[in-house]
Amino acid sequence: MIAKVTLTVNGAARTVEAPPLTRLLDALRGPLGLTGAKEGCGEGECGSCAVLLDGVPVNACLVALGQCEGREVVTVEGLGEPRHLAPLQACMAEHGGAQCGICTPGMLIAAESLLRSNAQPSAVEVRRAIAGNLCRCTGYDRIVASVLAAAEALRATRGASVSAGAPVRGAAE
Amino acid sequence: MSVVDLPRYPFARAGSLGELCSLVHERCASGERTVLLAGGTDFMAEVSQSPRRDGPLPLVVDISRLPELGAIEWDGRTLRLGAGATYRELAEHHAVREHAPLIARMTSDIGGPTIQARGTLGGNLATASPAADGVAALAAYEPTVVLASVRGERKVRMADFHTGYKRTSRADDEIITAIEVAPPPPGSPWHWRKVGTRQAQAIAKVALGAVAALDGTRITRLGLGMASVGPTTALLPKTRALLVDGSPRDVDLAQLDAAVAADISPIDDIRSTGAYRLHVAKALVRELVRSLANL
Ligand SMILES: Cc1cc2nc3c(=O)[nH]c(=O)nc-3n(C[C@H](O)[C@H](O)[C@H](O)COP(=O)(O)OP(=O)(O)OC[C@H]3O[C@@H](n4cnc5c(N)ncnc54)[C@H](O)[C@@H]3O)c2cc1C
Ligand code: FES
Ligand code: FES
Repeated sequence: MIAKVTLTVNGAARTVEAPPLTRLLDALRGPLGLTGAKEGCGEGECGSCAVLLDGVPVNACLVALGQCEGREVVTVEGLGEPRHLAPLQACMAEHGGAQCGICTPGMLIAAESLLRSNAQPSAVEVRRAIAGNLCRCTGYDRIVASVLAAAEALRATRGASVSAGAPVRGAAE
Repeated sequence: MSVVDLPRYPFARAGSLGELCSLVHERCASGERTVLLAGGTDFMAEVSQSPRRDGPLPLVVDISRLPELGAIEWDGRTLRLGAGATYRELAEHHAVREHAPLIARMTSDIGGPTIQARGTLGGNLATASPAADGVAALAAYEPTVVLASVRGERKVRMADFHTGYKRTSRADDEIITAIEVAPPPPGSPWHWRKVGTRQAQAIAKVALGAVAALDGTRITRLGLGMASVGPTTALLPKTRALLVDGSPRDVDLAQLDAAVAADISPIDDIRSTGAYRLHVAKALVRELVRSLANL
């Protein structure tokens, strides 16, 4: 059985023809050509396959392609460009949050989801947000530091753009 | 059913609850199997972990966006939790937080955020694992399970729903549509404690959910649900009988331990041992009684 599923992937409309119970992970890595999301365990335990589905972080190894008709998927590739990394991606590289890199796409998706709803998370909130993402390399501390640094960088940019658009007097106060 | 079997599954999406009931009923009548796919966190994981299968596979019907299953409603007396609402949706819902805070709290102990974003109470109840956190927390509210089929709606007390290890009284052509909870007044004491290997992504070695109402120091209402200490979620009737109508300050701890031991039948398995589970079960009930005594 082959289904034709149309969904939005990283902002662009895409159509995939595949068996409907194909895992979203396999659709992304195969026909959609997006190999950012990784298969660590294939059973929901490790989070390396995490993507945003309608803005919510999910394990792409547990979602069937047939469940994605009309839905919006964001993968790690959708967070930034290789030459213009998003602050989260840049901080992960700078602060040693990525070593072998297998967990990194899922960590970035979990962190992106957190920062969308919480611009100033505590270290504990970061740890909770990545609780479903396993890393066997970093010991997690550097990942937490990377996410906190990215949150700060984002607040600074946002603050800058706000004050840039504000009257000079307001910015000076 | 290994992951290589996935492409072989026939698949359909249900447009409405009525359509779903007819489809499942017709398939049952002709002896064909159907699997409902909600969050997929039990089904997809099970398929991926199992050996390859030959022969016909069940029809998988996507119910993840069926509007009739998603709603969470409070009518002033009853909290109706849609069987298809995700743990994340339950945690974020104001009526759940206000009227069934134990349910909201329990959701944060299910797997991790990505599992909470997909998993549902309907799936938790249907899979009927004795380790199910959702069932243990719900049991404390003594809720009613609402089922739909071509014959109409049927309501079953959750205490009568789980009949054995991974077995329920749901007929093959029935859909779980909601769980109805009649909670005690807001502010009533509740208690949740899950003991696992670690804080996230760990199935319970033992978990305890409790909801109480007190008149002065007298316990007037007490619902209990304990996970992973028997073939089904344990409702701890002897423990409850010992506590209800008394004061938590006057409990004889030896009697309490004996009641807990008589209420459960923990076993050794890959996650823990029967002896450890018995020890933890007693400790969790003592902790509950202490917290009620200190109110
Ligand atoms: C990594 C991981 C961690 C987990 N951690 C926990 C945990 O900490 N605690 C816990 O309790 N569980 C845990 N689980 C198990 C699982 O997430 C829960 O049981 C969840 O509630 C299942 O819901 P679902 O919607 O994903 O079910 P699905 O996989 O979609 O369905 C499961 C079964 O239920 C049936 N079903 C689903 N909805 C209905 C309905 N409305 N009516 C009738 N039948 C229905 C389906 O046909 C299927 O047979 C975990 C799973 C994974 C993969
Ligand atoms: S590959 Fe999906 S959670 Fe591990
Ligand atoms: S960097 Fe290797 S698993 Fe996290």
